[in-house]
Amino acid sequence: MKFALAPESRPLEGYTIKRAIHRGGFGEVYYALTDAGKEVALKLLHNNMEVELRGVSQCLNLKHPNLVTIFDMRQDADKDHWIIMEYVGGKGLYEVLQENPAGLPLTEVFRWLHGMTAGLSFLHDRGLVHRDLKPANVFSDADQVKIGDVGLSKYISESRRSAQTHSVGTVYYMAPEVARGRYGREVDVYSLGIILYEMITGRVPFEGETTAEILMKHLTAEPDLTVLPEKLRPVLAAALEKDPDRRISDVEELERRFRKAIEESGFAIEKPTPVYTAKTSAKKSATALATTLLGNPNVATARNGSGLAGKWNSAAEFWHTRVPTPVKWVLCGSVLWLILRSGALQPLTAGGVIGGLAYLVYRTFFMKSPSRRTTQVAGSPLRPSQPGRPPILGASMPDSLMEGASQAVPVMARAQQRSMPPTPQLVQAAVPVSSIVYTPATLRQIPGSQRASDITTSMSVALAAAALVTTAVHLATDLLPDPADVAFFGSVTLLAAWALIVPAKVWEGRPGDAFVRRLIQGSLGLGVGAVAAILQRFLMLDETRLLHADGDGVFNGGNIGRIHVLESGLPTMAGFMMFFGLLFLVRRWWWQADSFRKSRFRISSSLVTLFLGVVLSAVMPFPEQLGAIWALAISAVVQLSSGWTPQENRLLAPSPSSAQVVPMMAQVRHAVASVPAGAGQRM
Amino acid sequence: MIRPAMDKSIGKNRATADVSERRELKWPMSTDRYMLWIDGVGAWQLCVGSQFLIGGPTLEDKSADICLMANLSRRHASLLRNGEDWFIHPHNSTVVSGRAVTGPTLLRTGDEICLAERVRLGFRIPSVLAGSALIDFESPHRPAHSVNGIILMTDSILLGSRKDHHVCCPDWPDLVVIYKQDGVLRCRSKASLTINGTRVRDSAVLSDGAIVSGDDLRFRIERLKDRQ
Repeated sequence: MKFALAPESRPLEGYTIKRAIHRGGFGEVYYALTDAGKEVALKLLHNNMEVELRGVSQCLNLKHPNLVTIFDMRQDADKDHWIIMEYVGGKGLYEVLQENPAGLPLTEVFRWLHGMTAGLSFLHDRGLVHRDLKPANVFSDADQVKIGDVGLSKYISESRRSAQTHSVGTVYYMAPEVARGRYGREVDVYSLGIILYEMITGRVPFEGETTAEILMKHLTAEPDLTVLPEKLRPVLAAALEKDPDRRISDVEELERRFRKAIEESGFAIEKPTPVYTAKTSAKKSATALATTLLGNPNVATARNGSGLAGKWNSAAEFWHTRVPTPVKWVLCGSVLWLILRSGALQPLTAGGVIGGLAYLVYRTFFMKSPSRRTTQVAGSPLRPSQPGRPPILGASMPDSLMEGASQAVPVMARAQQRSMPPTPQLVQAAVPVSSIVYTPATLRQIPGSQRASDITTSMSVALAAAALVTTAVHLATDLLPDPADVAFFGSVTLLAAWALIVPAKVWEGRPGDAFVRRLIQGSLGLGVGAVAAILQRFLMLDETRLLHADGDGVFNGGNIGRIHVLESGLPTMAGFMMFFGLLFLVRRWWWQADSFRKSRFRISSSLVTLFLGVVLSAVMPFPEQLGAIWALAISAVVQLSSGWTPQENRLLAPSPSSAQVVPMMAQVRHAVASVPAGAGQRM
Repeated sequence: MIRPAMDKSIGKNRATADVSERRELKWPMSTDRYMLWIDGVGAWQLCVGSQFLIGGPTLEDKSADICLMANLSRRHASLLRNGEDWFIHPHNSTVVSGRAVTGPTLLRTGDEICLAERVRLGFRIPSVLAGSALIDFESPHRPAHSVNGIILMTDSILLGSRKDHHVCCPDWPDLVVIYKQDGVLRCRSKASLTINGTRVRDSAVLSDGAIVSGDDLRFRIERLKDRQ
């Protein structure tokens, strides 16, 4: 980059240039020191510019902490005009945005927005319009946001047709009515809206390869608001309204509505990290990156639920965080063993069914908005992502994923509406505290080869897991006395686990309707049941205790309707098929097999499955203990053998972002010269 | 391109005097201070030596090598280069990456130095090719004039387009190396450079006030004489 003036030159009496800062659209900017040592920025205006100096001169005496102060305007010996301004040392918003391609942390968005709003609001109050607000004109010095180039925009409007000052960087932020020569303060609202959008998402709403394309989009295209949290969409829509008369008319109004929307979305505004705690900078930048508005639920600090929910939550938290895993196993194991041994299975089951039904009735008729907890009891380990936040958006979000997000959002939004209560408090009770939540519902791209190897690995591990679990059942209970029993139980368990793992791994990371998935699982269950029945005949397990059902369940005579499910105390093929079909249909098994499930082996998941097995074998005529143990065994094998990614490794791999094509200067000139006229006709 | 241990042959008399002084940690040290004014990039304070004192502002003649406008004592801490390693010698409240230190402490690249609880400085050694270190400002405390950072130069520093250069100049076509030889600073590059208008062959001395220009680059080096 060549600059006209050399270091140490003194174009103006009393000022020594030390270095060139940059070349802007309408002049070069230098860092200079006065003879006494005060640092200033000197802006040399282009010689050939038809300068209208009134714009600057009326801004000479404006004083506001959020505006870059203009000290003076001078002419050098060559009759060139210089503007002497306050030197702002810190990083500009432009650089900050470059460094944060996935958007800024929420606190930073607020800080920049507030500074810009205060500065613009002051200008508007003095009857001025900035007209050229863009990240390259916004700076931050010692945490004070400052808007630069105040008063210079006059030149821009005057010289627009000469295309001197236009770069693509400018048109990204230009309001549509500028094409018609209309410059109200709504122009600044629009630019601020675009910057706000960019600070949140990391990209401007209207991109293009040429100035013409971008201008055309400002005039005609609707911004893609689906990438924003839901509550923010109407705010940004109102700020980016094409018609200035229908746009938010006031920057302060924009800031107010933005704040309100953020509060309503349940994003707690993070307190800034204390300046003086000594953290390593690497860590800090990592957290800063991680806490963008779109990227991370850190910003949504969960409030403690009140009353019963709160107690339940704290108990659950205690169980999850304080109780060591081995202790959990011992506790659960002994409780299970006690239940099985004491013969309390039937009363407990009956109690569970009655309690469950009562709760269901209560939920359906008496609670207006069912809490998340209820769905969890019904067997879903679903952790809701933030309200309105598409779960696909990772901390450092590659562009390609962002593009995917816009399509994924409507689906997710609907899913959330269905499954989530409308009141934010209830939602928040279930939002986990300060961790990135990747659930099995997180959409992600998994290469086919990885998927295939995952399936084969899981299937082979399932072999070992099934053997292990079968041995455990053989040793711990007296259900499997004979080798034939062991073989029967083990092979059916393995087959069932395979039938569950394979579709789950195929579905992993993909969007899909839960109901359809359940139906598919259910039909696979029918198949497993049929095989189990054939195997039972083949192994001639007629006399064994294992398969002997004590009662008829709630049905008489071993018949459900006209289907014969029990014959001389043994389940028929229909009985097996019905048991496995229902077992597979009711549980959301793919969550237990997903790499992004909460932990490798979740006891609660297994317990719910066990309970389901108990209920099924109690309701339909099926051997009770076998039903319960089988459900538990299948759940254990599925969880133990399916590939699992530890929480800390759950990053969505970044893919190279598409290269931006820098437009040729010739194109820019051409576009600027031709667009306003054509654009005006289209309006 | 880079010559290790280039300052081996500094004038013998001065070198021995320096060493004895360094062992006793006496001040002021013979640190040379420069400003690097780089067009389109920024300004860096360049400290050449192997021991650098950090302190607050003072009206006396002797101020610290790294004099920050901050509520620090005049001799708050010093940074020392010993062999291949960098150490911080705290003279007052100093925290390194969250750990309060009282004695000489090894610094690693990426460490955060926190002085008097409020002043936070980043320490890094950007390049494996040179042992020179870089101090970044993480709190708003700066020297009296705006600088982007402070370079602690022991042997050589690299100015170029990459992040692992001491000064990252994104648009520069080629790497420029500034190094110390026979007690003077010199500069060399593959790119064709001129110093004060004179074409550089291989390498050239960087005298006070020298303006180095190339195709897409220009910078000036200025010796800081007075100590504020």
